[in-house]
Amino acid sequence: MGKIIVMTSGKGGVGKTTSSAAFATGLALRGFKTVVIDFDVGLRNLDLVMGCERRVVFDFINVINGEARLNQALIKDKRVDNLYILPTSQTRDKDALTKEGVERILDELQKEFDYIVCDSPAGIERGALMSLYFADHAVIVTNPEVSSVRDSDRILGVLNSKSRRAEQGLEPVTQQLLLTRYDPERVEKGEMLKVDDVLEILAIPLLGVIPESQAVLRASNIGMPVILDENSNAGQAYLDAVGRFLGEDVEHRFTKVEKKGLFSRLLRRTA
Amino acid sequence: MSIFSFFRSAPKASAVQAKERLQIVMAHERVGRSGPDYLPMLQQELLAVIAKYVDIDANKVEVKLDRGGDCSTLEVNIELPGREQIRKPADAKPAEQPANGEDKTTPAKATAGALTNGGVSKRR
Repeated sequence: MGKIIVMTSGKGGVGKTTSSAAFATGLALRGFKTVVIDFDVGLRNLDLVMGCERRVVFDFINVINGEARLNQALIKDKRVDNLYILPTSQTRDKDALTKEGVERILDELQKEFDYIVCDSPAGIERGALMSLYFADHAVIVTNPEVSSVRDSDRILGVLNSKSRRAEQGLEPVTQQLLLTRYDPERVEKGEMLKVDDVLEILAIPLLGVIPESQAVLRASNIGMPVILDENSNAGQAYLDAVGRFLGEDVEHRFTKVEKKGLFSRLLRRTA
Repeated sequence: MSIFSFFRSAPKASAVQAKERLQIVMAHERVGRSGPDYLPMLQQELLAVIAKYVDIDANKVEVKLDRGGDCSTLEVNIELPGREQIRKPADAKPAEQPANGEDKTTPAKATAGALTNGGVSKRR
């Protein structure tokens, strides 16, 4: 039985889709058969970030409505084995996501895949609720910024009350924090919340800290998950986070200001 | 920047790639916004026609699309059963069909159609 992971945040623009794409790719790189699903009905974007926007034929909603078969809607990634994308509809609205429909598709996917990564839309409406309802694990994507931290706390409350595991009194959904767009220089100047501040407020285990990085925009420009840019800090931080998710003991990096020597300044152009 | 970069053609800047990708995908979306989502219907009708003559397994139908700037390609791959299972058009009576599903021989994979610029694709 495959495990269902939801990437959620409450707030928009914090990096859920970037993280979903990176995380799913990282799991596939480790040899796990992985599918990443876009739950943002009407505002499809995972396809662009994954670089498969020109190959979308059928979508998640077509499959829910029985208009296409699951294996017709799944798009196989061209770069990484074991990686598949299930895009959402750009034209329908979120009411198309029925609980029964989503459950049926996830059940089918769980038979075939090791991991199912659900890319949640922002907010706490139907799309977000459906993306987290069936989850086994939740990755809370948060920026070190007041509104993002507050919304993350709100979504933790939703996970604890409105997920299937909560409703059926099963073991709770595991919750881990992925702190994105972290800028150690601003933290040092006292302009940004520290990792420890956010951990103290949200009180959930830390999965990883992704540094603010120019590589993220470059990667989305060309439709490549940033984890495949192994020279970038962000790519390496995602690789570390995937290792931690799989239970490995990986030390946190990129949380302190790097003292740049002359050579590293010359050799390393990218942040 | 090394001096060698003067001698090789510079790779396309990522922002240029971003703009081109957006122009292609959004051109298709703006056109599609007015009409109904025709692909599911198109697929069902295509399959209905083929099923009149051949037994096909709906699980062995593959539909691929590649949206391009100038033209798009729709590729429908339908795996056909072995030769003896293909009924002659004259006998094609969908309702009364002998039980010939027992001896499934090696299926012959056939590309039913790669429609380029034809009825399905759009030119702009």
